Amino acid sequence: MRTSHLWLAAAVLLPGAAQAETKLTVFISNQQQPQIMRHAFDRFEKENPGTTITIQSGGTTSELQAAYLNTVMSAKDPTLDVFLLDIVRPAQFAAAHWTVPIDGVDMKPYLPAYSEADQVDGKVVALPAFADAMFLYYRKDLLAKYHLPVPTTWAQLDSEAKTIQAGEKNPDLQGLSFQGAAIEGAVCTFLLPYWSQGQQLVTNGHLSWNKDAALKSLNLWTGLVADGVAPRNIAEVTTEDTRKTFQAGRAAFAVEWSYGWALFQGADSAVKDKVGVAVLPALDGGQHASCIGGWQWGISAYSTHAAEATKLVKFMSSPEVSRQIAVEGSLMPVYPGLYRDAAVDKAVPWFADALDVVTSAKARPVTPRYNEVSDTIRTLTNAVLAGAVSAPDAVAQMEARLRRVLR
Amino acid sequence: MPRRSWRDPKEQTLAAVLLAPAFLLLALIVVYPVGRLIWTSFYELSLSSGLPRRFVGLENFVSLGSDPVFFTALWNTLIIVVVTVPGAMIVGLGLALVANMPFRTKWPVRLALLIPWAMPLAFVGTIAAWFFNSDYGLVNDLLRPITAQGVLWLTSPTLAFAAVCLTIIWKTSSFVALILLAGLQTIPHETLEAADVDGASRLRKFWSVTLPMLRPSIVVAMIFRTITALQTFDIPATMTRGGPGDATTTLAMLIHQTTVDFLDLGYGSALAVVMFLLSMAVSTVYLRQIRSAA
Repeated sequence: MRTSHLWLAAAVLLPGAAQAETKLTVFISNQQQPQIMRHAFDRFEKENPGTTITIQSGGTTSELQAAYLNTVMSAKDPTLDVFLLDIVRPAQFAAAHWTVPIDGVDMKPYLPAYSEADQVDGKVVALPAFADAMFLYYRKDLLAKYHLPVPTTWAQLDSEAKTIQAGEKNPDLQGLSFQGAAIEGAVCTFLLPYWSQGQQLVTNGHLSWNKDAALKSLNLWTGLVADGVAPRNIAEVTTEDTRKTFQAGRAAFAVEWSYGWALFQGADSAVKDKVGVAVLPALDGGQHASCIGGWQWGISAYSTHAAEATKLVKFMSSPEVSRQIAVEGSLMPVYPGLYRDAAVDKAVPWFADALDVVTSAKARPVTPRYNEVSDTIRTLTNAVLAGAVSAPDAVAQMEARLRRVLR
Repeated sequence: MPRRSWRDPKEQTLAAVLLAPAFLLLALIVVYPVGRLIWTSFYELSLSSGLPRRFVGLENFVSLGSDPVFFTALWNTLIIVVVTVPGAMIVGLGLALVANMPFRTKWPVRLALLIPWAMPLAFVGTIAAWFFNSDYGLVNDLLRPITAQGVLWLTSPTLAFAAVCLTIIWKTSSFVALILLAGLQTIPHETLEAADVDGASRLRKFWSVTLPMLRPSIVVAMIFRTITALQTFDIPATMTRGGPGDATTTLAMLIHQTTVDFLDLGYGSALAVVMFLLSMAVSTVYLRQIRSAA
């Protein structure tokens, strides 16, 4: 190569190197509305010249994302700086020393469930991004047509769904859609009626197993399938399947996370303006219970830009961004005060009533070995719904496997 | 006898020098990882526990004995071997015989053989999951005249297993066919013509000439097929994710789950050692077969 070429190359390359730009890579799955997060990132980039943010996306379900992050993190790969974590993961990430503790944050203003999940041994290991809980979505138009009230018990829902299905005479109309596939959502499927009976899965770090409550929980779901209210193929149904089915107008009721709302109200939705949201029904004589979800911003321990990443995470967890993503993406705020905020109230009117659900929703067991707990519950719940294992057998197997993990 | 010097090394030394890079490479990509795997299997090493690794001897292997999921996965894997290896051999042989027929234009047949072989496994699994979906799958669409409700393929343990096996056979028989086709083309015409002269029937020719002469190719295809069947992962992982329950979970999927999902590297390594020993055992049996045939 001639020397003049070398100079030319240096002239092209050097200015870029001199600016010392910080490039942050953030992992957000498609399910968590990266397009909405992008707006907030754009603002951060404007306020912090020299920092550029790239979104990396993948994994449509929580456990696929976890499998991906587990691979990246156990390889000590520095590509990712920041990631969104499901509420069940911070404990595991902290135990594996995969996150950077975040200093100087007051966790008191956040909803209690999140300040709890994001602190491990007194250290803040992640910051809340948005809240979530499971709700009962119902078709306002269908309930009105048959003069039915919003159901408060599962038995009531069962009979109302039958009335609607009989009246509509549409073989494609499901009474209720819930999650029966062996995914993270199926853990909540099992726990909702279990909690409704006043039971806890873990008390003081130990398994507090109630055989009868577990059996009753599985029997509720198999009963709804046997009645023809839930579809026969329920063991195939994922969170997104429920969302699509309800959005296409093919279900009277749905158990779904809050993210469904914005999509149900979207322009291409068959149920726009026909959707109501309520607290999930209880078992007869039991209490209402919801499963708490929500996502957290974590900083990779292998990030080479920890300082900038911390700044970004604090910004993304601020009340301003929490409000913005609530308004734009119907993502539930992590600050209780925002549930009655004027802008939020205008965009998502039912959030005002949802605060009670979010504050009282129960958390799945907090343990570094959560993946094993989850796998046991979701695989066996799925097996029962598929008819592969009987409910009493599944209850016995669940107990044996959970005892090994939680002791 | 020529004088030996550094300019004129002994032939053995030259061989050693020439082979060294290959040995080094093998050591790096085979011996080291396998050694590391066996070493890890003697430790309790779980990233989610946050505890440092601890030597436990054979404890991980003892735990295997009381792990029902391990036995389910092992059983599923063995059934997949027993069903899909002969399945792919029979279908593959049929395809090879068809492809070996004197077509005027050979490329469409060859292409049809190559396509399933060239497709990524995970891709095939995903396609098959759509095919067998009870709601909007093609299979149920074709069955509509017979059963209006459709069959719940992937949520019945037996049907899901059958669907997985069918998919594996479809995917792998083209590989078998390619190897057997190469074998078929080495059979000299003279031998077959001699059989014609002797008045042998078509079936007799196939049974007494083609099949025995194809034996080396069949053994090679069997070795590859059996080992890949023991390691079955992609198709059930994308098609059923091991479900319903554990009905289609294979040993390789359990290893992945234990190490990647549960981050239990010690126990996961013990599982992987079991699979390694299984593969070694199968290869040894087949290699003996080849040697005795030769």
